[in-house]
Amino acid sequence: MVGSNRKRIDVIDKVLGKPVFAGDMKADRLLFAVVYRSPRPHAWIKSIDVSEALAQPGIVKVITGEDIPGKKQFGVIKKDQPCLAEGRVRYVGEPILLIVGETENAARKAMSSVKIHFEDIEAIRDPFTAEKSGTLIHEDGNLLGHRKVIKGNVERGFAESDVIVEHTYSTTWLDHGFMETEAGVGYLDDAGRIVVVSSTQNIHYKMKEISRVLGISEDMVRVIQSTTGGGFGGKLDVTVELFLALAVYYTKRPVMMRFTREESFVSNTKRHPLYIEYKTGAKKDGSIQAVKVTIIGDTGPYISYGETVCLRVAVHSTGPYEVPNVHADSRMFYTNNPVCGAMRGFGVPQLAFAHESQMDAVARILNMDPLDIRLKNGLRKGSSTATSQILHDSVGFIDTLKKIEPFWRERKKSSHTSGFGIGCMFYGCGNTAISNPAKCHLRLTDDGKIALHSGVCEIGQGSDTILWQILLETLKIDEKNVVLVRGDTDTSSDVGSTSASRQTYISGKAVYEAARKLNRYLDEKGYYRGRSLGDIYEEARTENNVIFDGYFDPPTTQLDMETSEGAPYATYAFATHMTEVEVDDKTGVCLVKRVHAAHDVGKAVNPRLVKGQVYGGVAMGIGLALMEEFIPGKSESLDNYYMPTSMDMPEIEVFIVEDEEPTGPFGAKGVGEPALIPQAASIINGIQDAVGVKPSQLPCHIERLKKLIEDKKSERRQEP
Amino acid sequence: MLPDFASVIPESKEDALAYLSSLKSAKIFAGGTDLLVKMRRGESYSHIVDITRIRDIKVISDHGETINIGALSTHYEISVNQIISEKALSLAQACGWVGSPAIRNMGTIGGNLVNASPAADSLAPLLIHDADVVLESKDGTRRMRLEDFILAPYKTDIQPHEILTFITIKGLPGYREGYKRVTKRAAWAISRLSIAWAIQEKGGFYKDVKLAIGSCTPMPFRPRKVEDSLKDRAKDEKTIQVAVGEIIDEIIKVSGMRPSFVYKIPVVKALLEDILKG
Repeated sequence: MVGSNRKRIDVIDKVLGKPVFAGDMKADRLLFAVVYRSPRPHAWIKSIDVSEALAQPGIVKVITGEDIPGKKQFGVIKKDQPCLAEGRVRYVGEPILLIVGETENAARKAMSSVKIHFEDIEAIRDPFTAEKSGTLIHEDGNLLGHRKVIKGNVERGFAESDVIVEHTYSTTWLDHGFMETEAGVGYLDDAGRIVVVSSTQNIHYKMKEISRVLGISEDMVRVIQSTTGGGFGGKLDVTVELFLALAVYYTKRPVMMRFTREESFVSNTKRHPLYIEYKTGAKKDGSIQAVKVTIIGDTGPYISYGETVCLRVAVHSTGPYEVPNVHADSRMFYTNNPVCGAMRGFGVPQLAFAHESQMDAVARILNMDPLDIRLKNGLRKGSSTATSQILHDSVGFIDTLKKIEPFWRERKKSSHTSGFGIGCMFYGCGNTAISNPAKCHLRLTDDGKIALHSGVCEIGQGSDTILWQILLETLKIDEKNVVLVRGDTDTSSDVGSTSASRQTYISGKAVYEAARKLNRYLDEKGYYRGRSLGDIYEEARTENNVIFDGYFDPPTTQLDMETSEGAPYATYAFATHMTEVEVDDKTGVCLVKRVHAAHDVGKAVNPRLVKGQVYGGVAMGIGLALMEEFIPGKSESLDNYYMPTSMDMPEIEVFIVEDEEPTGPFGAKGVGEPALIPQAASIINGIQDAVGVKPSQLPCHIERLKKLIEDKKSERRQEP
Repeated sequence: MLPDFASVIPESKEDALAYLSSLKSAKIFAGGTDLLVKMRRGESYSHIVDITRIRDIKVISDHGETINIGALSTHYEISVNQIISEKALSLAQACGWVGSPAIRNMGTIGGNLVNASPAADSLAPLLIHDADVVLESKDGTRRMRLEDFILAPYKTDIQPHEILTFITIKGLPGYREGYKRVTKRAAWAISRLSIAWAIQEKGGFYKDVKLAIGSCTPMPFRPRKVEDSLKDRAKDEKTIQVAVGEIIDEIIKVSGMRPSFVYKIPVVKALLEDILKG
């Protein structure tokens, strides 16, 4: 089972169109709620007049921040974000009112009758202004976080280097662009509890937030995951859940919310724009001696995952290389731009663009092959990371380089403007330097089956199938005897979020642990010698022993507050992508022709699903490298925010490296984010190889690339 | 959410024109790929006249020197039509690039022209084929040059009771012809700029050159003066350099220096050089 290309367990239903997405749900007397959002980036709310909106036909209730019965702020890391703004708004799109109508049309129409008087405050539009401005977005200042990673002595490292390469890099906002926009339905169950069914990556978190905001106990709240059409981090923060809960609380009727693409764009968290100053020192033989990185990020006005990104980028700033002297300084500032949050890779794809550009720049000066310099410096067993964590197991980075090596050595330019680039990455699986456990349980059922109770949110990536395979492999049982009970806070334990490439590794391990217990029990009771499950259930019931739970929390350590020394992750995934591009130097169009991608996943529970992740990661990496750019106030929908289509996709060949992780289920780690992280970097390095220019800003869209090419031409003309 | 509206689906041109003459605030639905987007953004019309069932304005027919294109021909139909491919290849190519397959299957050339987006892919090829449009109403039929029909971006001379029924173009068989566009992604993208060309050469001399450049000027631009000056000129590096330089001067004269020209001018220059070299 484990290691097989088992068909996804949801595939037939999905092909037949059977799964019900939240926006398709129906209920008697279903109301519809819409959010009135701030049109101003930074303003005092002087007055709100909803009398006219309330008088509109079909309007049932208008809810303001004052109506919130419990805590008024929410937040995944810290509770700083108003559910409905009171007194002040801090970004365009900040929710102010919730309008509940008999129909979607009625609710949307009433929006134009709301009268709010604003008094503008100076809007902080970039982190550099945030640092200096006297305008404070929050009372305690505009700096959200400051994290450092210090190892060795970076100045000595530079002094001992033969070459020093220094460049700055910048990236911008990106939208997740999941196919299904945010949606959900809320209702009261027969016991009077608040039930929210929504498109989400974390049901237990949402349940806790609803309980806090309504001021009711957690057992009065139930959150169920509806079939979810993509997340990429954008459905980790609260989207519709608190609004639905509030609307149900006040109306006692079922309520639906379903964002238009425009609402999704203006409201959802974005990828963090980062400004990165990067200095690398190396010896003549290519060995990297020192890395100094200064990162300045724009997190928008609320924390969301800003602190997480601030730390994770510092920890990952060297890339998958052993560097004896490191000084990374990462600061994240509040601005009045969109709230930035989690998006596939938590900032690491931006950093990979920088560290991989640096590796190529060093190699170029030393006249070294880009693959050789990576082989020389790459992390391997016994290496020490930037946080001085010694890697003992599952360090397959060099193997990923070796998988790519034959294609790299034999590469041949197909034209004078084609080129090849390498991008590498390492990525810590799981949350950074904190406990992030998963729990699950198996239950013997009265109809002679085994139920897997799982709180893991399947968001399209295939986690249900992975857990299923781990369960069947461990139990050694036919799948007709197993049922999956999933995605419901009433029937499952907290597994943490579907994020940080952690579900296969952490929840997979929890399932493995539970299955091992049950396997031993079944063995004792004679199942493997032919006794029926129904029979065993009867005996287990009398023993009061029908539930077998599993738990796993990856071993990490806290990081030193000054140097970040420690083991922030129990294990790391590694990858190398090699990309062939073809640049049209006349137009600046860059086509991605072919990708060879090698990933150390520990153990591929389902190789086909690993490949699926990589294909999607490559697509997203093309967007990050070449076209996706969210411009606040301008990017309104997919009409003017370009994401790659199938026509932009290259041929992709995936190579799987299995350097088993001893703490993972059957050796497995994660691949969800690693699939994306090195892709943009490899494209950018390919562009440099093709036309000899060095992009320092993402996306390197046609106009930026053409300008680089033109600038280089005029430089050449100026040379004597 | 679409605003409320009433709709009629006439089966014949006569019925459609009768509806249009009697309805106020009526809008024609010829495929909906622009109209529905506008309506979703809040533009509202009390009546929609869906003309997509009128068969006789869907046909493409060859009349020797000219080709009649029914306004309801979809982008897809034009892109694969044999007459168009033989005598107006740039138009076939341009229509093959419009939007996505779904948009090409629904959107029509008539709708494309009435919408009059300056970035519409069909415009540049139609200009080099000296396209005329035929406008019909209950009161009669009028014909005008495409260049006169489009008054400004998103603004045409069509009257509320009229239907654009046909587009007539001159075929250019035997010309070296094509359409090139530049976009931010490989497909389903608005052209950042575009060029349609049809060139006739003989023995190293240009005999007839037709060029139209899209998305640089308010409407696609035909550099007729340069086209005339190329007639009977030797096809060499110098001729090409001079001609391209003059075209760029003319574009800047029409539009003024726009911020986007930092990108567009060098690209147009490089593409025109390639096109003239052949």
